[in-house]
Amino acid sequence: MTEVVPAPRRHRGALLVGLSLAVVGVLVAGAVLLLGPGGDEDQAAATGATGFQDGPQGLVPQFIVSCAYSHSATNDPIVWPGQPGRSHRHDFFGNRTTSDSSTPDSLLGQPTSCERQLDTAAYWAPSLFDHGEPVAPLGLDAYYRPGPGIDPASVVPYPHGLMMISGDHTATEPQSTQFVGWACGIQGEMQVTPPTCPADAPLRLKVVFPDCWDGVNLDSETHKSHVAASVGGSCPDTHPVAIPQLTIAIGYPISGEGHELTLASGTVLTGHADFVNSWDEKELTRQVERCLNRGLVCGVVNNKAEDVVRPMPVRP
Amino acid sequence: MTRSRTVLLAVLAVLGLLAAACSSSGTSSSSATTTPTGGGAEWSGNTINVPADYPTIQEAVNAAQPGDLILVGSGIYKEAVDVETPGLTIRGLDRNATILDGEFTRDNGIRVLGASNVTVQNMTARNYTGNGFYWTGVTGYHGSYLTAYRNGDYGIYAFDSVRGQFDHSYASGSPDAGFYIGECFPCDAAILDVISEYNGLGYSGTNSGGNLVIANSEFAHNRAGLVPNSGSYELCYPERDTTIVGNLVHDNGDDPNTPAIDVAKLAMGTGILPAGGRNNLIQNNRVYNHERVGIGLVPFPEENPKDDLPTGDELTMPCSQARTLPRADKASLPGTLLWDAMGNTVKGNVVSGSGLADLAFGSLGTTNDPLGNCFEGNTFTTSAPANIETVMACQNPSGAFTGTLDLATLIATERPPSGDYKTQPVPPDQPNMPDAANAPGMPAVNVPEKVDVNSIQVPAAK
Repeated sequence: MTEVVPAPRRHRGALLVGLSLAVVGVLVAGAVLLLGPGGDEDQAAATGATGFQDGPQGLVPQFIVSCAYSHSATNDPIVWPGQPGRSHRHDFFGNRTTSDSSTPDSLLGQPTSCERQLDTAAYWAPSLFDHGEPVAPLGLDAYYRPGPGIDPASVVPYPHGLMMISGDHTATEPQSTQFVGWACGIQGEMQVTPPTCPADAPLRLKVVFPDCWDGVNLDSETHKSHVAASVGGSCPDTHPVAIPQLTIAIGYPISGEGHELTLASGTVLTGHADFVNSWDEKELTRQVERCLNRGLVCGVVNNKAEDVVRPMPVRP
Repeated sequence: MTRSRTVLLAVLAVLGLLAAACSSSGTSSSSATTTPTGGGAEWSGNTINVPADYPTIQEAVNAAQPGDLILVGSGIYKEAVDVETPGLTIRGLDRNATILDGEFTRDNGIRVLGASNVTVQNMTARNYTGNGFYWTGVTGYHGSYLTAYRNGDYGIYAFDSVRGQFDHSYASGSPDAGFYIGECFPCDAAILDVISEYNGLGYSGTNSGGNLVIANSEFAHNRAGLVPNSGSYELCYPERDTTIVGNLVHDNGDDPNTPAIDVAKLAMGTGILPAGGRNNLIQNNRVYNHERVGIGLVPFPEENPKDDLPTGDELTMPCSQARTLPRADKASLPGTLLWDAMGNTVKGNVVSGSGLADLAFGSLGTTNDPLGNCFEGNTFTTSAPANIETVMACQNPSGAFTGTLDLATLIATERPPSGDYKTQPVPPDQPNMPDAANAPGMPAVNVPEKVDVNSIQVPAAK
């Protein structure tokens, strides 16, 4: 994946461990499912935009929110507002009241499925089907970080009511794994199509949202043109405001062989996700200022078993 | 050391769980740094009382100036407190009655964010979905006379922080570790006189070390006792230069009802098990009653590594410097990166009652010759390999390896599923700090205290 800080590869010498590595290497070559290349990079290459941030934990500031699966419905308050049943089926996370008629103001202060109770934002993605049956997701982790190479101090909170969609629900070709991909577990590589995952690291859909905003519009006709991905550590002149880069990872109880996976929007190539910022405004500002602007790793999704993406109680 | 391909594959596959379970989602490689706030190196002389001056701890913290003392009276505080002011001392008047309660809906009891020299003393944090007490990105931290139980990740936790100490504290009922110090080198830190029990792991620390001393503490009835490890999925690799001395480590793995992340299930029934660690000193501990291994040195195969093994001066430079180095090209990385246990010394321990071996060394495909681990002066009955203090002697090792540790057997057994952390037992009351009401504020500046490692003897059994 993309190195954000390009520099010559440091000199390495595998001295003491050479023997071990050689042995393991042979075994691994025969035993481990070797992951293919990271997918079609054309889209990203064409624009120079980078999204998915890979690497050791702790390199970039972040705060995280873990949310249980809330509900599913054929609603989409961004694309089909006020038209219940018009959309393909979505799985909703975070705000528990999200419906076709939800607005940022109606969502504010409502119950949430997130551990962080003041995250009342709405997150959703097309439902996953296995052999035609909907799969109940395990939950969602939301990572908020400065975009790749973006000065953490320059990042500002989303304005209340900002709406974003990332990914192409009509895609028939692989999308760039800089922005949409499938992976095994928390750690796995981004793949164009769902890999076969071990039981202890089940399938995840990961979607990276744009990290630059035009500074004016909360939405746009395409629901995309008011935001953009940064390029080379800068926001473009058309979208000069650096906002947190939101990456969501949705877990599913899917592992092993024998699955026949589709999305409500079509094939597994049509991965996408939606976000409405209806966070408690003060809390979102606090998190951005405390964690991102000050360069802190405020939390990590690590050292957890996958099954710890757990349902949370509904708050009255 | 020959071993069948099948066994090796099994070991790789199962140990790979460590990587999966310890792993974090992808993060990037930008060069953001933490910026600890200065000041607060001494007590200001000012004391703020909760609830008399402010009804909540958070409001008191928000109002405090660097170096202030916040005294918290008895009560149940349903808060998740963030601290950004350096040099504060936040102290409960009664450790067992000043209680932060997350009600399983809040993430951290007290979270110190980049504010240096903050001390937290004499209180309890329970029922948090994340951690009881948590410091991140600080220089100078001190947790003392703390109790943490029924928390979803860690009890008492320092990440990306240096110059700190946890002492006289207690943690139970966390599926991950009761105590954790990770991502630091040199850490300049100590864990002293603590009790960690009925957790997934008693102690865990990924990529920590360098003047890191864990001493005079008890790790009992966890799935596994002390399990530090290496891995490129977080910064500051490898785990190294940790001194584990004079601890009482017993009966880990005896309770199938404890909560446990996958790693804890994997390591269940072991006392002290550094995975892929280097140059650790494990000395004068008393280790007994473990279904599998008392003290074992094992490798850690990391799936989907984010970098390759550090070498040369990369191994000695502080993490603050090493973290700025570019990482290896992705294409050059193996699918599985093997972190061997290297240069560890196991000395003067008293180990008994282990099902597989009191003392053990395991590797994947190599002898100890290039790895340089050694065993000396321990009191024990069984070992794998046999005659471990001869074939892996610290001076002039000799003889052939026989009866080596079968890593597949070590990890392949079915383990009980995790218990629910939310229903773990309430621990008994713990001792209060001396004179909590009148002691001055104590910003975390003179920590860790210096530990005379060689004066610490093997503790008595319980």
